[in-house]
Amino acid sequence: MRIFRRKKPRPSPDTILSPEGVPLTLKVAGVGVRVAAQLADVLLTMAGAGAILLLLDLMQLTQPHTLFAIAMMLFFLTRVPYYVITELIWNGQTLGKRLMKIKVVSHDGGTLGTHAIVLRNLLKEAEIFLPGTLLLALDAASPTLSLIAFAWVVMAFLIPLLNPYRQRLGDLLAGTHVIHLPQPVLLKDLAQEAIPVETDGTRIVFLSHQLDHYGAFELQTLEGLLRADTGRMSPTAYGNHRKTLATIIEKIRRKIGYADPVAPADHAAFLQAFYTAQRAHLEQRQLFGDRRADKHHAEADTQA
Amino acid sequence: MAETLTLRSARFRAEREADWRLLESLVTQAERRGLHRMDFAAARDLAASYRRATTSLAIAREISLDRALLDYLEALTARAYLCVYAPQERLGGLVRRFFTASAPQALRRSWAFILVGFLCMALGGLTGFLLYLENPSWYFVFLPPELAGGRSPDATTSYLRSVIYSNDPDTTGLGAFATFLFSHNTRIAIFVFGLGVFVCLPAIALTFYNGLGLGAMLALHVDRGLGWDMGGWLSIHGVTELSAICIACGGGIQMGAAILFPGDLTRREALQRAGRDAVKLALVAAVMLVVAAILEGFFRQTVQDMTTRYAIGWGIGLLWLAWAMLAGRGRA
Repeated sequence: MRIFRRKKPRPSPDTILSPEGVPLTLKVAGVGVRVAAQLADVLLTMAGAGAILLLLDLMQLTQPHTLFAIAMMLFFLTRVPYYVITELIWNGQTLGKRLMKIKVVSHDGGTLGTHAIVLRNLLKEAEIFLPGTLLLALDAASPTLSLIAFAWVVMAFLIPLLNPYRQRLGDLLAGTHVIHLPQPVLLKDLAQEAIPVETDGTRIVFLSHQLDHYGAFELQTLEGLLRADTGRMSPTAYGNHRKTLATIIEKIRRKIGYADPVAPADHAAFLQAFYTAQRAHLEQRQLFGDRRADKHHAEADTQA
Repeated sequence: MAETLTLRSARFRAEREADWRLLESLVTQAERRGLHRMDFAAARDLAASYRRATTSLAIAREISLDRALLDYLEALTARAYLCVYAPQERLGGLVRRFFTASAPQALRRSWAFILVGFLCMALGGLTGFLLYLENPSWYFVFLPPELAGGRSPDATTSYLRSVIYSNDPDTTGLGAFATFLFSHNTRIAIFVFGLGVFVCLPAIALTFYNGLGLGAMLALHVDRGLGWDMGGWLSIHGVTELSAICIACGGGIQMGAAILFPGDLTRREALQRAGRDAVKLALVAAVMLVVAAILEGFFRQTVQDMTTRYAIGWGIGLLWLAWAMLAGRGRA
């Protein structure tokens, strides 16, 4: 028995409600990938500033202490201004975030405003950079200050770990979080392929009661198996794949009571036909309001 | 092959696939080149096609069990959503709006907090001044030696005068500009703003402490009969710079006050609301510090006359005040 029971199930952190009222799936980016993007940004800006300084130095255009002044100003620009300007130009992506394919979005599903971008980057300075540099600059001479700076940095890293949206302090105040950019890839529709026939020319037919055993989960697992790219498999992997198919077909036949044995040459055709028939059946049930999540749907119905 | 399309979801997909492909190419185009560089027809198609795709997604979730189709539509609409709801304003427009409207409006809205910031500084200055007159050894308490730069009660009057009217040919304008930017006061401004979140106290204390040092320094010079000269030396950039610290302090106090007195809102909501103006105050302070750096780098050395120093310093101070009072009125 659970002692602490949540009153309301929370919505998944990966969904954002668009202004159209359709919830969209945008996966929240983890702490690791964000640290990687941050490191990439630091390296890129340092390399850029270094290259400019080296160029000026080699061309001998400036005196040494003017060069120092330019270095200080470049250092200043690579802090907050770089992050604010790149996130403004690329709508929530710095160069490092572009490399890691992550992006800042507004928490409430609206437009990512200038205010939010400025605030989250200003606070990054207070959260990480200032105590971080303090930590690096200090030594054993002042242990209390070092401890305070260390505790502050630890806290700044703990906040995103304790939060389902992985927001750091700046994100919390600005009302933003960071997501993975989704990659749209449209695979072909398995049900649109020609209805397969067995090698002897007979069609594979399933009866309605034979299709009542499985739900959406099993269907989509089968879909994943059918989409496996057999052309790229090594011979041993292909052998294993054939064995898996044979086992699955045996299980399906036993469960649904399909009497005819299936010849090894017809394995792919059988599964293809079963997939199409099962999907047609389940989709039709769903249209009538009978959603079947998995093979336990019958027990769930009787309980409810 | 009519028979293969008996599945409702397969027909659904076949009918709409071309539209989705179009949306996919428009999204790629918008991401690569930016929405504002697309022609009218393409931008219109993107918006219309995105809304059709969200409808498709909503329907597909109801009628289709095809994992590939669902995943594709989820990713496509999410990607298109990010394009369609990207901010439409250009960088230049943002900067202009900040200076002509939103920043002065924010300054006027939070005038009380800024006033508190100035009061902290002034009180600190007065306290420092009086304490120094009472006992000059207070000077060493308020000003660490590396900050005073040799100017202490032990220094001779002629040395103090030479610092005020020094013309060191070694430092170029740009060098002084850069060193200023990372000087003590810039760090103070950042801390004063950032620490305001901790219920105001650190921000007020730091500003007060900054005022203490200033008052002691002033008292030292007044004591030696260099009061007006010191005032001129300080005015040329100090009016802008110290105001920047006071405004940063105002921003910090505003955030701290939101945590202390959230009213009917939750503390987080109150902080978010206060943050909208506080961030603008911080940006104004940053801009003022850069201007102060320019003044320090290029004018303090070249302008040696006391009255001109006063005129430049307070003239620019008046310009800031006029900007804060007058700009951006009559706009929503």
